[in-house]
Amino acid sequence: MNALLILSALGIFALLTDILGLKKILFPASIVALIGAMVASGLEWGHHTSYFNGMMCTDNTAILYTELLLFAGLMWFLICGSSIREHQTEHYAILSFALAGAVVMVTFSNLVMLFLGIEILSISMYIMAGSQKDKYSSNEAALKYFLMGSFSTGFLLFGIALIYGCTGSFFTSGIAAAIQQPMTLPHGMLLAGVLLILTSLVFKIAGFPFHFWAPDVYQGAPDTITAFMASVVKIAATAAFFRLFSMAFGSMVQEWSFTLCLIAIGSMMIGNMGAVLQDNLKRMLAFSSVAHAGYMLIAIITLNKFSEAALLFYITAYTLATLASFAIIIRVGQENGNGDVSSLAGLGKRNPLAAATMTIAMLSLAGIPPLSGFFAKYFLFNAALQENYTWLVLAAVAGTLISVYYYFRVIHSMLILKGSEEKISNSPIQIIVMLVLSALLILLGIMPDLLLSRIGS
Amino acid sequence: MQIATYAWLIALIPLMGAILLGLLGKKVNGKSAAAIGSASVLASFVLALLIFFSINSSTQKSFDIHLFNWIHSGSLSVPFNFLLDPLSSIMLLVITGVGFLIHVYSYGYMKDDEGIQRFFAYLNLFIFFMLLLVLGDNYAVMFTGWEGVGLCSYLLIGFWFKNTNYNNAAKKAFIMNRIGDLGFILGVFLIYNTFGSISYDKVFAAAAGFSSGSSIMVAITLLLFVGAMGKSAQIPLYTWLPDAMAGPTPVSALIHAATMVTAGVYMIARSNVLYVLAPFTLSVITLIGVCTALFAATIALTQNDIKKVLAYSTVSQLGFMFAALGAGAFASGVFHLVTHAFFKALLFLAAGSVIHAMSGEQDIRRMGGLRKLLPITYPVFLIGTIAISGIPPFAGFFSKDEILAHVYACSPILYVLLMVASVLTSFYMFRLLFLTFFGNYRGTKEHMHHMHESPSVMTIPLMVLALLSVLGGFIGLPEAWGANHWLNGFLAPVFEQSSGRVNALELSHTTELTLMAFALAGAFIGLAIAYSKYIAKNQVPAEDNNQPEGLYQLSYNKYYVDELYDKVIVKPLHKISESAIAFLEKNVISRSVDSFGRITLNGSRLSRNLQTGYIGFYIFFMVMAILLILLFNRI
Amino acid sequence: MSAIQVVPISYYVWLSAILFSIGVMGVLFRRNVIIVFMCIELMLNAVNLLMVAFSSMLNDAAGQIFVFFIMAVAAAEVAVGLAILVMIFRNTKSVDIDFLNKLKR
Repeated sequence: MNALLILSALGIFALLTDILGLKKILFPASIVALIGAMVASGLEWGHHTSYFNGMMCTDNTAILYTELLLFAGLMWFLICGSSIREHQTEHYAILSFALAGAVVMVTFSNLVMLFLGIEILSISMYIMAGSQKDKYSSNEAALKYFLMGSFSTGFLLFGIALIYGCTGSFFTSGIAAAIQQPMTLPHGMLLAGVLLILTSLVFKIAGFPFHFWAPDVYQGAPDTITAFMASVVKIAATAAFFRLFSMAFGSMVQEWSFTLCLIAIGSMMIGNMGAVLQDNLKRMLAFSSVAHAGYMLIAIITLNKFSEAALLFYITAYTLATLASFAIIIRVGQENGNGDVSSLAGLGKRNPLAAATMTIAMLSLAGIPPLSGFFAKYFLFNAALQENYTWLVLAAVAGTLISVYYYFRVIHSMLILKGSEEKISNSPIQIIVMLVLSALLILLGIMPDLLLSRIGS
Repeated sequence: MQIATYAWLIALIPLMGAILLGLLGKKVNGKSAAAIGSASVLASFVLALLIFFSINSSTQKSFDIHLFNWIHSGSLSVPFNFLLDPLSSIMLLVITGVGFLIHVYSYGYMKDDEGIQRFFAYLNLFIFFMLLLVLGDNYAVMFTGWEGVGLCSYLLIGFWFKNTNYNNAAKKAFIMNRIGDLGFILGVFLIYNTFGSISYDKVFAAAAGFSSGSSIMVAITLLLFVGAMGKSAQIPLYTWLPDAMAGPTPVSALIHAATMVTAGVYMIARSNVLYVLAPFTLSVITLIGVCTALFAATIALTQNDIKKVLAYSTVSQLGFMFAALGAGAFASGVFHLVTHAFFKALLFLAAGSVIHAMSGEQDIRRMGGLRKLLPITYPVFLIGTIAISGIPPFAGFFSKDEILAHVYACSPILYVLLMVASVLTSFYMFRLLFLTFFGNYRGTKEHMHHMHESPSVMTIPLMVLALLSVLGGFIGLPEAWGANHWLNGFLAPVFEQSSGRVNALELSHTTELTLMAFALAGAFIGLAIAYSKYIAKNQVPAEDNNQPEGLYQLSYNKYYVDELYDKVIVKPLHKISESAIAFLEKNVISRSVDSFGRITLNGSRLSRNLQTGYIGFYIFFMVMAILLILLFNRI
Repeated sequence: MSAIQVVPISYYVWLSAILFSIGVMGVLFRRNVIIVFMCIELMLNAVNLLMVAFSSMLNDAAGQIFVFFIMAVAAAEVAVGLAILVMIFRNTKSVDIDFLNKLKR
């Protein structure tokens, strides 16, 4: 809640800076505000307070996800803040609001809040995807994202309406309680509602067969916005998905889990295979994010005592690696901009720190021990095996094998292929960001308990 | 105990030293690198001393220090804890103390090497892992240290990596150790499976409920012992250690004599509670220990490389330690470990000083008469030789005598074998001494021209170690002399739980004194034979192509064990893998990998072709999918 | 019993389902972006109808409040959507959804 207030205040402040002539302090003010929000949000730890008549609840899971979102936001501002020159204030304001929407998505305990959070985040992202107004690719990305996004919102709302009709409540707890009782309306309507919500949330996390927007939008949107989408949007959507389905629909898990299994396997296969043939880095990462959505769905399918911690750990590892790789993509993109895997050639010589960070990020995404990505997969698979989803885990492992190919292709390109010899320099902030992210990727791999012990116990 | 809170620093400081040296690289000169490396170990040594004294004076003998939770998964919970107790504090002193002296010595020895920064970084890293090995309060931390020292050993054996032979020696050490480590890790898995924990206190407490000789105990202890065989170079996994002499001499002294190779001894002493429940394993250990001691000693008789003799001597002495452990005399094993660390480090460093003086020559047939030329190296080498030969009152006498007494109580036949090994020890060590320092100079003029005593940075550590080799035995004066065996008393809490299960030494004092007399006589017999052969008759071992026939040749060629392993294991393995390549690789693996690749590629094309770029198609696909989902769920 | 409650609830459900499907069909088959927007609006309004009907059936005001939120959000969404459309029209002089088709495969 504190975080929400600070983020909204930051957004409004950013809009005012143009008028007040305070543009110079906008960047430092944003960093301070985000750090302040992290601290303020941490103060709520353990209190389990409800807000807005119980429509939002800052339980410990919500706070952990909020912290993760704010951390991702902070890293994003550090990576991209200086490279945004045009319409700086609007960028800052809209992205602050988007972050606020994301925070709402991980804190909701009422479907109204879920809907509002999703829309605040999505509408901000529609605008940002098209922020390079004179570029065709940016235009196309914005249109595709907007059309498909609002289309899927329709399904979300229809689902919510059906659920409301069957259970008479928008509260997750009220829905969960009503599902246990006999209902006047046919059960099929309830299930249809759940499945419609499920499809639109799968759309938000870019899972097969609702993933089509992701590769096109990731590729077309400006690098900085893609970084935001791949980290903040992904965290918020996945966390909201898990929160809704564990809190409201947990008791009918048998009825929707098989559908979700097929979606998860499809995402892992299509995502990993799709990434193999891609040359554009962002497009490749988009397919990889489809695959990772598939892995994360495993946690939602299993819904046991391990899955919550496993999912949090997985999202954290994924976010750290994604932010790290985008930090490098953005830096290299500023130098020579075709955005292909081959543009990284010779990076090992041109900028060893960036190459090392990217290597760590790729290895972590591929799930190579001892990096955090390995343990993320390990905990997730472990949770699934507890529920005897052996074939799901086998599919995931097969997908992981494929993924090694394209992640290593990036490393191969950086370290082995010969490219331009010209050095790329790092600003102090970039050095800090790369060091922090790679240190965290390694640290969480060596001591996963640092994060895991916060949850569940 | 206040100091326990700083225990983590002991391990951390050398790690920091290693990281610092690794990061700085060539930015610091050799002198600063040596200073950083030595200072970090010295700091650890001071801490180790403080910890030792506070444990000695405190009534509580064991301190478990929680650092952080390391692994937590399901029922497996591995904390990163350090255990401070008499056993670990003694090991700390040996590692950091001897380690510090060797660091100082290394500066003199490696001064002109261009990789000196790398050398000290590795050495510090080694100290870190070794400390981890002895400090951990569970088998996972121990295993981390165990693997870490193996890594550092590999790096340091192959330190001069431009020489292919040295690299092969490093690889051999690594692979042989892998075999042992596999046993060790399997043992740890079995421990977890049996007791549900791998922390020492929990495992040992739970072990009390097992009856002596139960098969699971035998399995666990045998598997752990396989690990010890590899790391501590026992038959049949000993052949890597002599080859490991390819590394710089300080490395041989630190890793392959004083500390790492004794890790197996430490591990078994630490697990004494488990071992006393498996009498069968104990007898296996004694047998292998005695055999190794004798076998290696016979090889050492005929070697002409000064470091090789010392290497086989190390294998032999490790055999003594295992013989003691097998006889249930854990404290005696540790006692010999400590004294051996002193005199063997001394011997190696002194040998290094000789090699240094001889401009790299290691063949004792090219030496001789160095007594006057190396006025400091000679006396310290003499002290080391006397100490290892078991002549009182030098350190080796007390510890070796204790082991012999325990083995005698166990089995007189094994005692006789071990006694023979002891006589041989005395012989080959004096042979080495006489051939190196007595008689006439047999080397080249060129070497003679460069001959010089080592600088004081090398000789001072030698003198300190010599002092320790003289006095080190007094920490364990025999009770038969009416003296107080301090070390036994100090270590007693560690072996408390197992003390009831092994037969205490029940020899009368007369018997013990008689055994001592035998041991002493044995040492002098060895000395006398060596004297008559190499001083009185002034013999020099024959050149390689002119070796005497028979047993001598067998010993000289190390019983052809390397060749045997090559024939029986390496060659057949090569054959198998060649045919596996011919059949499996081409027909099975290639094909399955290729088809996996083809499926992936087709999937990729599919996934790519679905991405048509038309919003209309995407939305159509989405709607179809939603309809399918709804229909599939029969709504 | 108010007038809205006289009609059985299933009629409302079917009506809004049909309206929603018409909206979906429109999105599927029309290529003019403006028409597609309108069809999405139709989908949202079908939901609004359903919400109000359920709200009345359950005698619970929450459903109607939700409708206000949907309306507000839909307005914001359309504003953004039209802005995107204007931007694209400026660049391409076209309002066909499939005109921009560079990002693919």
